[in-house]
Amino acid sequence: MKSVLKPVLVASALALSACTGLGAGESGFSDYSAVSVKRVSVGDDSMSVIPPRPWNRQRHVTFGDIREVDTWTLNGPYLDEIDFVSGLKDNRALIRQRWNANQQVPRFRSNMTPPEIAAMLESLFRVRGGAVDFRTLSLTPRPFLGTNGFQIEYEHLDNDELWRKGRVVGAVINGRLYMIMLDAAKLHYYADVLPDFESIVASARLRGA
Amino acid sequence: MCIKCMELSRRSLLVGGGVAAAALHAGVAEARIRPQDMVPLVGPGYRPTEKDELGMWQQMERAEEEIAGSNLLIQDPQVTGYLKDLIGTIGGPAAKDFRIYLARIPDFNAMMFPSGFAVVFSGLLLRMRNEAQLAGVIAHESGHFLRRHMVRSWRDQKRKSDIFAVGSMLAGIGGAGAGVYLGDYVQLAQLGTILSLFAYSREMEAEADAMGMKLIAENGYPPMEMPRVWEQLIGEEKLSARYRRKSRRRGSLFDTHPSPDSRMADLRISAQEVTVPGKVYDDRRARYLATIGPMRQMLLDDQIKLNDPGASLYLVQTLAQDGWNGLLRFYEGEIWRLRNRPGDEPRAAQSYAAAVVYPDAPADAFRWHGIELLKNGRTAEAKAAFARYLAMKPEAPDAAWVRQMVG
Repeated sequence: MKSVLKPVLVASALALSACTGLGAGESGFSDYSAVSVKRVSVGDDSMSVIPPRPWNRQRHVTFGDIREVDTWTLNGPYLDEIDFVSGLKDNRALIRQRWNANQQVPRFRSNMTPPEIAAMLESLFRVRGGAVDFRTLSLTPRPFLGTNGFQIEYEHLDNDELWRKGRVVGAVINGRLYMIMLDAAKLHYYADVLPDFESIVASARLRGA
Repeated sequence: MCIKCMELSRRSLLVGGGVAAAALHAGVAEARIRPQDMVPLVGPGYRPTEKDELGMWQQMERAEEEIAGSNLLIQDPQVTGYLKDLIGTIGGPAAKDFRIYLARIPDFNAMMFPSGFAVVFSGLLLRMRNEAQLAGVIAHESGHFLRRHMVRSWRDQKRKSDIFAVGSMLAGIGGAGAGVYLGDYVQLAQLGTILSLFAYSREMEAEADAMGMKLIAENGYPPMEMPRVWEQLIGEEKLSARYRRKSRRRGSLFDTHPSPDSRMADLRISAQEVTVPGKVYDDRRARYLATIGPMRQMLLDDQIKLNDPGASLYLVQTLAQDGWNGLLRFYEGEIWRLRNRPGDEPRAAQSYAAAVVYPDAPADAFRWHGIELLKNGRTAEAKAAFARYLAMKPEAPDAAWVRQMVG
C-alpha cells in the first residue's frame, strides 16, 4: 500500500545512498525483486496473474504490510503502484496498525457492499496515505474472478501536493476480499500503466479455479 | 504562535531541549495578564529595521512564497475573503498588513508566522461554532505578532544562552524557504514546531490570550467565546485519547506551558473583566454559518473519514449543541459505520434513518440509509431511499451500482 510505502521509501532511499558507496549494485540487496512475464502468485498465493511486461515486486520487509497484500511498481511507488489483496479475512484491516492509533483504517467485514469497500479505501488513503482530498469518480458493477465484482475509480490529492488516480477491481468471494488496485500519478503515469493493469486484471485467477 | 503550541512544544522539547529548559524558569506561577494592560507594540505598516529581525523576515518571506503556492490551500474566494476581512478587522494596528491562508488540513490549528502571515487549517473552521470563536483564535495569533513575541523570545533566548537550537532553527526555516518541501502539511506542522522554538513562554501565551481577548471585546464579540474554544480543543483531545485508552499526554509538556486548565480559568476571568454589563455582544453565528455552510460537508468529510471516533463524536456533539440537523445526524452515522465494532451497524442505521427526516439531509444520507435497509432485508424501503438518492444526485459516481440495486 502506498500508505506504508512512503515512510518505507524514505528509509530505503537512505539505505540506498548509504549503500551506493559500497557498491550496492554488486551486493545484490534491494527492496524489490523482478516479476517476469509469466503466471505468478500474489499475496497469500491464493491468486495468480500474468504481467504483460516485467514489473517490480516489493519484498515483504516492512513492518506495516500484511500477508494478503502484495505491492508492485514500474517506476517507483511515488509514481505508480499496483496492490494485490488476496483473500483478506473478515475483521482484518488492509494494513497493520497500532491498536491505539487515534485514526484507524476501518476493518474489512464479509458483509460489506461495494460502497462500504470504497469508503474503507477512502479512509485508508486519508488515514495512512496522507490524502487531503479524495474524490470517488465511479463505482460500477464489474465481473472479476468469474463472479459479480465491482470497479471503483478515484483520485486524491496527497500531502506531497501530487494528484494521484486509482482504479480498483475487486470482489468478495466466500466472505474474503480480493482486489487489484492501481494507484498512480494522475499526470502521465496513470494512463501509462492502465493497460498493464487491465491486462493483469484480465489474467487474474484463483488457485484451484 | 499556534493554538496548539502546548502540543507542539512537546516536539520542540525533543528538538531543542535547551530552549524549552530555559523556558522552565518562566513556567512557575505566573500571574494572569490583564487584557487592559495589553498595548500593541507595532503600528500599521510595521517593517523591521534591525539586522536580526530583517534576516528573520527575509526567511519568512521565502516560506510564505512556498505556502502561498501550495495546492493544499483552499482558494474559495468567499471563504478566503471572509478570513481576510476578519483578520483585517480584529488584527489591531497591523490588521491591514496581515495575510491569511487557509490550508486543507483536517486539524484543529492555526499559526502566525513572524512576518505577519497566518495559516488557518480547515479543521479549525469545522470546529468553530460561531464567528466569535474564530475571531478569538485569529486575535490570539495576531496578539503574538502585535506583541512582537517572535523576535522578543528569540533575543531572549540568545541572551540566556548561545543555544545551537536557535541556529538550527534558522537553518530549518532557511531550508524550508529555499525549497525544501513545504507543501506537506506534516512539514508545515514541523515548521510550526520550529517556530515554537521561538519558545513562547507561559507569559507570552498569556499575553496573546489577553491581547486577543481585548481585540475581540473591542469588536463586539462576546468575550466568553474565547475560553470556550480552548475548552473545545482540550475536550476533543481528551476524548480522542480516552477513546484509545490513552491518557492525554501530561508531564513536561504542561510543566513548561500554561496548563490548559489554568489558562482556561484565566481566560474566563479575563472574559468577565472585559465584558461590559448591558452591552450587546453578537457572536455573528448566522454570518459564520452562511459563509462556512457551503463547505461544511467537505470539512466534516475530511474529519470523519479519518476514523478517529473519539474526536469526531466530541466534535459532532459539540456542533449539535446549536441544534441537530440532517448533516450532523448523517455524520454521526458515518462515525459508527467507520468504527464498525459489534453493535455499531445498527447505531449507524439509526442515525441515517434519523438524518433523512431532516430537510437538510445530504444525498449521501439516503444512499447509506438505503444500504442499511437493504442489509436488513427491507428491500422495498431501500429502493425508495436509493431512488431519492438518485433523484438528488443523478450524476452520483456510484449511480451505476445503485441503479443495479434498485433493479
